[in-house]
Amino acid sequence: MTRSATAKLGAYAALAGAGLLAALVLGRPEVAALAAPFAVLLVAGLSPARPPEVHAKLELDAERQVEGETVTAYLEVHAITAVERLELLLDLPEGIETTAPNPQLLSLHAGERRELEYELRCAHWGAYLLGQVILRAQDRFALLVYEQTLDLSRPLKVYPRGEALHRLLRPFETQAFAGSQPPRTRGDGIEFADLRPFVPGDRVRRVNWRATARRGEPWVNETHPERSTDVVIFLDTFAEARTGATGTLDLAVEAAASLASHYIAEKDRVGLVAFGGVLNWLTVSTGVTQLYRVLDSLLDAEIFLSYAWKDIDILPSRTLPPHALVIALSPLLDERSVGALADLRARGFDLAVVEISPVPFVRPGGGELDDLAHRLWLLRRDALRSSYLQLGVPVVEWRHGMPLQAALEEVRTFRRHARVTRV
Amino acid sequence: MLAAAGLALATGLREGHEVFLLGVGTAALFALLGGLALRWSAAVAVGVALLGGQQCLRLALGSDELDDWTPAIAATLLLVAELAWWSLEPRVRTWAEPGSAARRLATVVLSCAGGSFVAALVLIAAGTHIGGGVFLELAGVAAAAAALALVAWVARTRVG
Repeated sequence: MTRSATAKLGAYAALAGAGLLAALVLGRPEVAALAAPFAVLLVAGLSPARPPEVHAKLELDAERQVEGETVTAYLEVHAITAVERLELLLDLPEGIETTAPNPQLLSLHAGERRELEYELRCAHWGAYLLGQVILRAQDRFALLVYEQTLDLSRPLKVYPRGEALHRLLRPFETQAFAGSQPPRTRGDGIEFADLRPFVPGDRVRRVNWRATARRGEPWVNETHPERSTDVVIFLDTFAEARTGATGTLDLAVEAAASLASHYIAEKDRVGLVAFGGVLNWLTVSTGVTQLYRVLDSLLDAEIFLSYAWKDIDILPSRTLPPHALVIALSPLLDERSVGALADLRARGFDLAVVEISPVPFVRPGGGELDDLAHRLWLLRRDALRSSYLQLGVPVVEWRHGMPLQAALEEVRTFRRHARVTRV
Repeated sequence: MLAAAGLALATGLREGHEVFLLGVGTAALFALLGGLALRWSAAVAVGVALLGGQQCLRLALGSDELDDWTPAIAATLLLVAELAWWSLEPRVRTWAEPGSAARRLATVVLSCAGGSFVAALVLIAAGTHIGGGVFLELAGVAAAAAALALVAWVARTRVG
């Protein structure tokens, strides 16, 4: 523990010294008597002073939690020596809150163990290291202060809560693997597709007896096979617009988590490409393990400032499988991501852009010129959206507080009426 | 502040030179008040020093007889200083165990009682007739210097 003197110690020493000198100068013993208590208190306070020895142990009842939920932290404090006044602060990172008393003032006997319980609320998603404990002890007369910082780091991953999605976007093409999506093609499956006349080789179980009785000749059912789809979530991490604790990247990560969990729940294969200053990708796969891989990658998503020009060529080909639906979550602020998305469309990928609108995070300046600049910027954004629409790419604006489902429905409406083109 | 005001007023009104002593006492109170309001420990130290200085002046301007009230005044002075520094401690919103404030208050009261006892011992020692002389004066100076050196040494070894 580091030890330091309080202002009180210096002041008392000065008062005692001045009093004793004044007693000598004035020749009055009463003045020495006035100064004596200060001197005696200093000697009494400093003589037995020993640095307190305190050990601590931190445990969390969960290492992973969803945003908005709580985690309980148990902090065990063990005092080797007696501590009269121990102030204990569990230093919590931004995004983790507690309603438990923090800091706490404790008085511990020698050898005493005390377990403190902290109910931690995961206010914001992220990967945290909890466990910096700051101890501050004072002696009985508050002359000395002992401070120590214990690093009892415990990892805590808080996943974005996301939102419930009732209907997801479907790619134009399905994959060859079994899943829960009916493709356009017909084959063995459960989903009814059509009726057709019986041809030799058809199985008897496929005969539709009602249609056969009505038409007087055998007719059979045709079905869609169940296939999986590949979905790649393209996260733009080049730039973001931010105000306080909320930014476009936060919204994009929350949307990505929602999409990934829902697609994986429907047995689709999901991949992730974080395209920015630092490139991060996950090849498509399915299952709970893949979901956690995607969520862990999303927690690491950060904006790294980079001036290096990057295009889609630097991505490994396996990250963007053929016929995959690429859902881009981007504020469309950086030319590199704007160009990469256009490039993806040009290569024939089934692309949908959910624009995480930076407009709510930007305030126009007070002057007329600033207002004009802001309007010009908005116009340029409109022009950018139009250029994507001309390429056949649906672009929907999504803002904080607006349901993600509404944005997806807008994309679906566009895709229903738009024609797939090869550029 | 109440203890300081009581001490300053009682000292100022006790005997002659009321205006002068009351002036010093008022300055001490203002320094204390400013120190507590601005959470400035140097001003508190000056306030306590001025209260002590008021006592020195009263003794210097008064009669040569030993003042029997000195132990009580010493205890009050220590009480003022202890409470003032307690008030200056960082105001962090801290959950404290029940009884911790009572224990702290008991420590302050016992310190003041001990201080009063020590002051009384000093006065008794001063009142004992041993017979004057240069050697006794030198012994007194040496004792004062030794006391100062002891305080400085303890502070240096324990803090540094």
